[in-house]
Amino acid sequence: MRDLCAAAIDAATGAGAEYADARVVLKRTQLVATKNGRVERLGDSESEGIGVRVLVAGAWGFACDRRLSADGARDAALRACAFARAAPGNHSRALTPINPQTGSHRSAFEQDPFEVPLGDKVELCLRADEALAGPDVVVRQTMVRAQREHKLLLTSEGTEVEQELVECGGGVDCAAARDGVFQLRSYPSAHVGSSCQSGWEYVVGLDLVGEAPRVTEQAAALLQADPCPSAITTVVLDADQVALQVHESVGHPTELDRVYGTEASYAGTSFLKPHDLGSLRYGSELMNITADATTRGGLGSFAFDDEGVPAARTAVVEDGRLTGFLTSRETAARLGSGNGGSMRADGWNRMPLVRMTNLHLEPGEGTLDDLLGDVDDGVYMETNRSWSIDDKRLNFQFGTQVSWEIKGGKLGKMLRDATYTGITPVFWGSLDAVAGRESWRLYGLTNCGKGQPGQSAHVSHGAAPARFRNVQIGVKT
Amino acid sequence: MNAREVAHAALAAAEGEAEAVAHVERSGLARFASSEVHQPTLIDNAVVTLRVVRGSRTGVATTNKVDGDGLAELARRAADTAETAPADETFPGLALPAEPPQVGGADEETAGLGPDDQARLAAAAIDAAGDVPAFGFFTSGVTELAVASSTGILVGQEMTDATALVVAADEERSGYAEQTAWRAGNVDPASVAREAAAKAERTAGSAEIEPGAYGAVLEPYALAELIEYFAHDSFGALGLLEERSYLSGRLGEQIFDEKISIADDSLDPRGLPKSFDFEGTPKQRVALVEDGIARGVVWDRTTAAQAGNGVQSTGHAPPLESRDWGPLPYALSIAAGEAESVDELAGLVGDGIYITRLHYLGVVHARQGLITGMTRDGTFRIRDGEIAEPLVNLRFTVAVPELLGEVHGLTRSVALVNSQNFYGERYPYGVLAPALASARFRITGVGSKPGI
Repeated sequence: MRDLCAAAIDAATGAGAEYADARVVLKRTQLVATKNGRVERLGDSESEGIGVRVLVAGAWGFACDRRLSADGARDAALRACAFARAAPGNHSRALTPINPQTGSHRSAFEQDPFEVPLGDKVELCLRADEALAGPDVVVRQTMVRAQREHKLLLTSEGTEVEQELVECGGGVDCAAARDGVFQLRSYPSAHVGSSCQSGWEYVVGLDLVGEAPRVTEQAAALLQADPCPSAITTVVLDADQVALQVHESVGHPTELDRVYGTEASYAGTSFLKPHDLGSLRYGSELMNITADATTRGGLGSFAFDDEGVPAARTAVVEDGRLTGFLTSRETAARLGSGNGGSMRADGWNRMPLVRMTNLHLEPGEGTLDDLLGDVDDGVYMETNRSWSIDDKRLNFQFGTQVSWEIKGGKLGKMLRDATYTGITPVFWGSLDAVAGRESWRLYGLTNCGKGQPGQSAHVSHGAAPARFRNVQIGVKT
Repeated sequence: MNAREVAHAALAAAEGEAEAVAHVERSGLARFASSEVHQPTLIDNAVVTLRVVRGSRTGVATTNKVDGDGLAELARRAADTAETAPADETFPGLALPAEPPQVGGADEETAGLGPDDQARLAAAAIDAAGDVPAFGFFTSGVTELAVASSTGILVGQEMTDATALVVAADEERSGYAEQTAWRAGNVDPASVAREAAAKAERTAGSAEIEPGAYGAVLEPYALAELIEYFAHDSFGALGLLEERSYLSGRLGEQIFDEKISIADDSLDPRGLPKSFDFEGTPKQRVALVEDGIARGVVWDRTTAAQAGNGVQSTGHAPPLESRDWGPLPYALSIAAGEAESVDELAGLVGDGIYITRLHYLGVVHARQGLITGMTRDGTFRIRDGEIAEPLVNLRFTVAVPELLGEVHGLTRSVALVNSQNFYGERYPYGVLAPALASARFRITGVGSKPGI
């Protein structure tokens, strides 16, 4: 692998590149999924290749080759240089300087998920599937997954880092329907469960079989529940939904490439401006957001990002004030602040982009009951069902799978089809409580989309239940 | 090796009953922002998925190592997986050979475009945007899909596609346009940029409006995306079987205005034609809605077997890794109307809003066809039957059946709107859509002003 990367770097610099990096990536994924008692997917996938990124006369070029051969490496390098030379524009892209890095890193885990027999994974899923059975249930789904990514990065500046990242996860979903009403419940999270950079012990700890009956019971109960009304009220979100709120309304808008407009044609831009750094009031003083690529178990954890920048923990929002962006070496140089450290690519055949690492809402104090106890009249919402946010990440609308009314500090009757909407800084400004460390959980999602051609990133968010005042719930018409 | 050769070799490496699907891509995408190319990506890949069958047990493995050793290893992993799988008595078996329809969709000139051409065509868009900074891309690619199976299937198709997409925007303004075709010669990046820039220039000084139900004109970009989201749950057989489809219990009923007819038609040369699906089953045109009446959904072999009522696959099996969704309509086609222009549609609306495109849609309630999202890059008020002052981006929460329940008209012209975002392996698909005028489009909030 090293020789291939070196050959690519040599070919690129020989063809006139002032900077080049080469990444060899070998990825293997395994997935078991069941639906209604039958194995729906049982797959084992691998992909390998080399991606070469170059700067030629200040212009980027990127090309890749699935062949792990000297010819493939050189061809990719030369095609990347040719594409960079052809690129229109007055280029003057610069990279913030870093010291060349060397090192290796491997995810910490107890039990290699690829050493767990596929048959055991199938059995676990089928047991959980069976445990989801119940009245009015129309769909029972379970899933477990594992991924290993082995990558080597060489740069023309002398960086040489090798990493092996291992992750796994799982989840269950149950859909119930009756009389034209369709309701869904999931555990531990919606949209393909939750994953962690960990060994199989993480999946075991999820206790999918043990949690399944509660999921089914709630899905069926939702068929009898009243729809959540429209009102302006106090909302308490569970940690899972807070994690998604952080992702969409803090993570993406603080990606500095979005701030500079480079995602305008797809994912969108940001309501933030570069000069907002250090001054913009993002939320209440209880809002503290940290980007942490060193979080144990985080899907966005690594020793070095895909530019070779060492992992770091940095504050993005402190006491409600914007204090940091997620950056690349290029955007950090343009801003004149930061060191990069957030660049990741979706495999060998995509160019690295600014991506969230692990972005956390830091814990506050107390428990969920404490948060509820201070609400006379409001709604508690759990587990995301739908999500939408505008291109500047200002106006959002989220729906949750289940909610309960809060009356006199206690949970009341169950409600279905709950949604809430808001404007990002106004919403975070209404944050008046975050539960404490004991309620703080790490959620890993694997479907964060960005870039053209599209790339999916795996990121984690730590969050605890949080309370927001004066929130519009339901749809305003 | 081309895709047929890869599929054939993978099948040969497997013992016994098996199916190989090969996907080969060569593409270039010149992405630009602030009128400079900043993410130019060249992709060259070949991926093969092998499904091995042992009785009623199946196992799947995928690789992009398509040499002899790589395919032997693929066959071993797929066989191991199949040995692990429990018996599945609902497995319908592999498809039998059937002659696929002859379709177009491959253009030699498009296949021959290289990085210099892709950069040149991106430059044409950037230059034509004039003073308004351009954000977007030009891409072209050639994709080969082939299916080989132990039942005797060996089919292959080469597809080409090209897209030019431009958001012309500065701090105060933004406009959008795109063109997609399987012949790059039918895509004019400069024209796309001019359309986007002209739209942007009309969006400065945008105003807010109160939430409520408005009459609305939706350009093809907006209508295509909305119907595509609706289709994921409602026009596929799995959604029907799982009762999350709006069509559940409504087949044969009037669900939309009689002006609305929607089909899935991979054979239409105006779209991005396909000959067969990912099981090697020939593609069929499927009427989904005719004159407002719900007629059917698309099927693959698995859902057809699950239904158990004699229904057959219509040739809509997606890639194996996407089968959670069941069969999907990859070639939606919304029938045109009689209006000559969007201006005529505005006249039919009288008082309402005009929407160029949508952003970040989310399905709030699949069974109700309830979808939320934002408008973007060109939202205007319609007053006295004419497109008037610009509006800020608007949040909508729309029940598609309500939107399509009272339709004033549709344009005579239809645009092919690109639907792929180029995740994973390239598979060109899009929606043929006219512009539409509806009596009700429900606005539920206001967002930011146009611009980046």
